Amino acid sequence: MQTAIAKYRPMIARSQSLIALVVLCVALSLLSDKFLTVQNGFNVLRQISVNVCISIGMTLVVLTAGIDLSVGSVLALSGAVAAGLLKNGIPWPAHDLFIGFTLLGTIVAALFVGSILGLFNGWVITRFKVPPFVGTLAMLTIARGLTMLWTKGYPISGLGPKFDFIGSGWLLGIPVLVWICVLIVAAALVIVKKTALGRHIYAIGGNEQAARLSGIPINRVKIIVYTIAGLLSAVGGIMVTSRLDSAQPNAGISYELDSIAAVVIGGTSLSGGRGTIMGTVLGAIIIGVLNNGLVLLNVSPFWQQVIKGFVILLSVIVDKMNTKEA
Amino acid sequence: MKPLTFAILTSLLLTGCGRHDQQHPKKIAIIVSTLNNPWFVFLAQTAAKKATDLGYSSRIFDSQNNTDLESDHFDNAIASGYDAILFNPTDAQGSVTNVKKAKDAGIPVFCMDREINSKDAATSQILSDSYSACIDLGKLFVSTLHKKGSYVELLGIVSDNNTWNRSNGFHSVVDNYPQLKMVARQAADFDRNKAMEVMESILQAHPDIDGVFCGNDAMAMGAWQALTAAGKAGHVKVIGFDGADDAIRSIKEGKLTATAMQFPKRIAELAAGDADEYFKGRRDFAKKLPIPVEVVSAHNIDNYTAYGKKE
Repeated sequence: MQTAIAKYRPMIARSQSLIALVVLCVALSLLSDKFLTVQNGFNVLRQISVNVCISIGMTLVVLTAGIDLSVGSVLALSGAVAAGLLKNGIPWPAHDLFIGFTLLGTIVAALFVGSILGLFNGWVITRFKVPPFVGTLAMLTIARGLTMLWTKGYPISGLGPKFDFIGSGWLLGIPVLVWICVLIVAAALVIVKKTALGRHIYAIGGNEQAARLSGIPINRVKIIVYTIAGLLSAVGGIMVTSRLDSAQPNAGISYELDSIAAVVIGGTSLSGGRGTIMGTVLGAIIIGVLNNGLVLLNVSPFWQQVIKGFVILLSVIVDKMNTKEA
Repeated sequence: MKPLTFAILTSLLLTGCGRHDQQHPKKIAIIVSTLNNPWFVFLAQTAAKKATDLGYSSRIFDSQNNTDLESDHFDNAIASGYDAILFNPTDAQGSVTNVKKAKDAGIPVFCMDREINSKDAATSQILSDSYSACIDLGKLFVSTLHKKGSYVELLGIVSDNNTWNRSNGFHSVVDNYPQLKMVARQAADFDRNKAMEVMESILQAHPDIDGVFCGNDAMAMGAWQALTAAGKAGHVKVIGFDGADDAIRSIKEGKLTATAMQFPKRIAELAAGDADEYFKGRRDFAKKLPIPVEVVSAHNIDNYTAYGKKE
């Protein structure tokens, strides 16, 4: 009997986010008949797509026992770079030249900017042994400042129908944003489950000393992970910008908190080495459903914050109880 | 560490002593509540430009909506010998001590856009009247909806007093019409993305609304996008506040119904002008000078451009 419970406990622990999501959905569909509709389902999926994107990157970082606080600012800068290049190009008055950008060009440039900032995070953290919390906190400010410099503090709007398609288009009956998410989640699953990089990420988070002794190139793995986080923030930046048809200089403020919340609710341990990609996806869906449901029920904005806080707390407490006993 | 701190303090004091040196141009500090919102960026930059045009050097300080940081800026501005402060307060009550501090140091403070709750601390206050503007917007809203229907309100940041000034002004009119029913009221933090997401959810619960009142233009644009995606854009009337570039263009294209135009350019230039006259010896400034806010809608849109009247 004891062994039987012990045998199933990991499975229960693994599916606790799923159970929480089901409970939440059942409760909301009882409270509002507008909740369980196809259209609202797509609303929620579209709304969480950006958070899923950056939370996947955050999960990889957290699995190595790190953290990335700069995701929101990197998202804003990448989005602004895409919008600025698409709309204005790069004028070069000294030579009376003007460099225009195609849609693909702007997207590549934005992804490049995000990756470089992520790479910089990883470099600072590994080369100078700066704690990830501090290094990425610095980047949070730096990237926000760069965004202000690039946009001069004003939104860049009116980006054209082609760019709009990313944020508001549909393919085969599903929003383009959701397709992007699915691709990213699939790629992350492959990395985590099938590649040496995935094994190394878990090994470093589990026990960095042991990982080092077994010959895992710790610094290289960390740099790659932070670069991926930067790249995915840039993807998120392109998504937000396209969805709004406008790059807002204050986009992405406090997104790092939503993202960390998704990771934590999804059961990933902030001390590294334990957690899953699908857990984070579920975590993001839970936050999205909660946001959507509280608005559907017209709960006062003050109470919404209190409720969301308790949900995060509760999920971590349940997680702790499970791991202690397992 | 100690000697370094001492050196910095000394150098600050030394620059402080040089304040009345006539050879250098006078220095004006521009302290604004936030640079995270294009409206305030425009206010600060216009003030800085006007100060430069008048022959003064100027610097912009960003309080990041934080009274505490604002207090640091005042300390620094006083210590480094600024001759005047053009000030956009973070909080009507919380900013009073900061202004008094400057006054005690002999530095005049000119408030822009938002007021502080003190009659004599600031040399002058040039204010934009959000509350009355929202009364006018409320009247327009009532007549556009023919006094009946259901509507949604999108609030800004719920801890910001401007959010409630605007909301209260609007409700002081609209609440007199019992057939106008507010079916949802949610916060969208003055943010375009959040407004779109909140609006998408609200439209699920209330697909048949007739109007949306938003505490600023960014939220109005976000709400408009959610309505467009849901195929309800023409029918639902959306009202914003600020007179931002996007909103003016949108009203011109027949999308948004109205916004309230504040005049950040006029406010900033008047404040810089007051500082100039103060240096030249004038002391009799109006303690409070309200700058009227004008309602902009399709029928008068041709007179306006972003953040002001066409010249």
